[in-house]
Amino acid sequence: MVVSGALRSLDPALTRTAIVLQSGDWGVVASNFDFLLVGTAVTILLTVSSLVLGFLAGFPAGAIEVYGTGRLRGLVAGAGVVLRGTPIVVLMMLFYLGLPIPQLGTVPGLEIRVSPFIAATLALGLRSAAYQGQVFRGAIQSIDDGQMEAARAIGLPRRGAVRHVIFPQAVRRALPGFQNEFTIVLKDTSVAIAIGLAELLTRAEYLFVQPERSTAMFELILAVSAIYFVLTFATNRTLDRLQTRYAIPEGDG
Amino acid sequence: MTDGNTTDDLADERASLVEQVPERRRIAIAIVGAVFWTWLLARWAYHNALLDVIATALGFPDLIRSEVPVLVRQGWIPGGPFRAVADAVAGVANALGPADVLLEWLVWLADLAAFAATIAPKLADGAFITVYLTVVSLLLGLVIAVPLAVARVYGGRVLSTLSLGYTELIRGTPLLAQLFFLWYALQLGSVARAIGFTGEPPIPQAAAMVAVVGFTINSAAYQAEYIRSALQSIDAGQLTAARAVGLDMRGTIRHVVLPQGLRLAIPGWTNEFVYLIKYSSLAAFITVPELFRAAEGVGSDTFRYTKVYVIVGLFYLALVLTTALAMGRFEAAVSIPGLDSSGNQE
Amino acid sequence: MTLLELEDIEKAYENEEVLHGVSLGMEQGDVEVLVGPSGAGKSTLLRCVNRLTEIDAGTIRLAGESIHDLDSNDLRQRVGMVFQDFNLFAHRTARGNVTLGLEEVLGMDHDEAVERAEAHLDQVGLAEQADSYPAELSGGQQQRVGIARALAMDPELMLFDEPTSSLDPELIGDVLAVMNDLAAEGMTMLCVTHEMGFARSAADTLTMLDGGRIVERGPPERLFENPQHERTESFLGQFTDFE
Repeated sequence: MVVSGALRSLDPALTRTAIVLQSGDWGVVASNFDFLLVGTAVTILLTVSSLVLGFLAGFPAGAIEVYGTGRLRGLVAGAGVVLRGTPIVVLMMLFYLGLPIPQLGTVPGLEIRVSPFIAATLALGLRSAAYQGQVFRGAIQSIDDGQMEAARAIGLPRRGAVRHVIFPQAVRRALPGFQNEFTIVLKDTSVAIAIGLAELLTRAEYLFVQPERSTAMFELILAVSAIYFVLTFATNRTLDRLQTRYAIPEGDG
Repeated sequence: MTDGNTTDDLADERASLVEQVPERRRIAIAIVGAVFWTWLLARWAYHNALLDVIATALGFPDLIRSEVPVLVRQGWIPGGPFRAVADAVAGVANALGPADVLLEWLVWLADLAAFAATIAPKLADGAFITVYLTVVSLLLGLVIAVPLAVARVYGGRVLSTLSLGYTELIRGTPLLAQLFFLWYALQLGSVARAIGFTGEPPIPQAAAMVAVVGFTINSAAYQAEYIRSALQSIDAGQLTAARAVGLDMRGTIRHVVLPQGLRLAIPGWTNEFVYLIKYSSLAAFITVPELFRAAEGVGSDTFRYTKVYVIVGLFYLALVLTTALAMGRFEAAVSIPGLDSSGNQE
Repeated sequence: MTLLELEDIEKAYENEEVLHGVSLGMEQGDVEVLVGPSGAGKSTLLRCVNRLTEIDAGTIRLAGESIHDLDSNDLRQRVGMVFQDFNLFAHRTARGNVTLGLEEVLGMDHDEAVERAEAHLDQVGLAEQADSYPAELSGGQQQRVGIARALAMDPELMLFDEPTSSLDPELIGDVLAVMNDLAAEGMTMLCVTHEMGFARSAADTLTMLDGGRIVERGPPERLFENPQHERTESFLGQFTDFE
């Protein structure tokens, strides 16, 4: 593979755990099950860290787009457009190569280097923040003006009205959008292959590009896809259920 | 992912790339976009093999230069002046001492411009592939998406389950994994090569064809979801009325449901367009020399990775923003009073 | 004691004059009903009193103090408001709607707020519905929660902005009954409403507003029986004809 060949020096640690096996094709999957399982853990970890960053940055960003003024609001909106208009692979490359992220060694149990993980988290997280900000902005704007007025009418200051009346409703309305973001981020963690982060797809590729195991390409990709599918499917179902359970009856006016 | 809500929110979430941008800035984007596209189209024409054949036949052998390899193509805008500016400002900055952040920024920007001018021809070449991957896949995807959506909404249990299964499977797995599946697992590249996609200009490469297949399959699932939610938002009374005037189910779908539903699906479709422009960059991973890979090539030649990715990011941004603007225009042009997605989304 | 005094109120929205030289005074315990065609400026006048809308010129005094010398949030604690569209907080139960202001504005502790909220819900006949969310209540019930929410703040003055206009006819009675009770208890009330029955039975003063000016103001009986202005006669006439 030519794509950033120079950059994609995989962790030397990988070679230790990947089991070289020349048996049947599914045998390769089976014998490297642990190896792929660790990749799954990396994928999940990266998804969670990116979503958390996305929420922490996206929530205020959405609020600033609605309630902010002047330069700050322009800055947030502009950054949002840039993050939403640039391919995730470009963002990852930029964060990986353009930011002075120190080489922090590897995480032992997961066999990943820390610096690409940070770069991937920043890229996925900040882009997700841009999307989550939009979700949240839309949710705030969908709250009826009367809610603000009623809150002000009982004497709540604007800040209190936003905090106690607008935000609690907006966050609930934004839940389906946040859920959607989860799926997008989870799937896009696979792009971290570009910066050599040993997540699930990277590990599959690492296994099947070895000449002696290239016959297992079909099985490996299928197995990895199945893991992704189970992850998205299971989380979506769980979140659906949580949403129904914690839903608050909302009138339509 | 399976219920209607999520998709509607997906539409909401991605719809507003330029909607929120103030009018004045939108005009600025339009002007910059027009310049960008004029340059891009001229650049493509200048190195187009087909146009070269025609021009040569008409007696202008040197008008079009398709024989010049990408690596040695020269820009039309010289990088020299920018570099001179960069050097001049750097001189001033040095004289003032190292603390002047603003001047350092200026140097960086001028240097970026100089670099951009030099590598632009290579990126233009990649952008051509990016654009055709996107447009071809989007249209082919639409051809599949319409029956998928109709099957999901109006098909019987078997058809709608099949359609649901397809969209779930595609939307539940990463696009990159899908491309790998086609490229490595199914080895579709050799199939495409056998068919005759040799990569000799003007014939596209085998890898590009595999990418088109992958993007089409992927995009069809997302487009089908947008169209499905649009179809489901059509008032039930419309169907009743269509049946009442004597249209059968097929006629109802064709003359009433689709004309309304496809209009309602345009905002979602715009998102999918933008989405595909960005994600076409993943074709680089199966060796397609599109925009991102062209940038990577430049990067590994020059080792100026940060600048390359900033420039290619701006390229994508220009493509994406002009597309979003143009699609907004398109939506306005085909809109019908009283029928709009915002009114129907609740 | 004069509780509310409006003097030469002027208000314009983007050059469109909404209120023009409106003056009126209300004694403590007065019930005043504002009537007039739509666009007369009734709702705007109401909103000026709790500064949801700021006036352009004139003076508004509450218990002798200019409301512009008061902090707007303090003012709003003293002036309750009931909205046409209820505007109940959709994410809070009926009880939660009432306690929000008590806890966050008046700084009551939770238990005390709950106790007070329940008392006020009981007052409007909704003790049973304290745990219901707004969407689970009928329009009439929602509006009564809205009244309880405003009352709980222990206001000196209550503003009613067309409180029954969004209700189905069969639900209006419950809300009017609560308003009648309040009036009987001596609450000072400034109401915009088309309920002429309420105006006749409960109001001390009826004010006809048209084109941003007070056309006529006086006891309801006089305006109904013996209007001085042709505008008043034709406006009120359309209601009396059907009664």
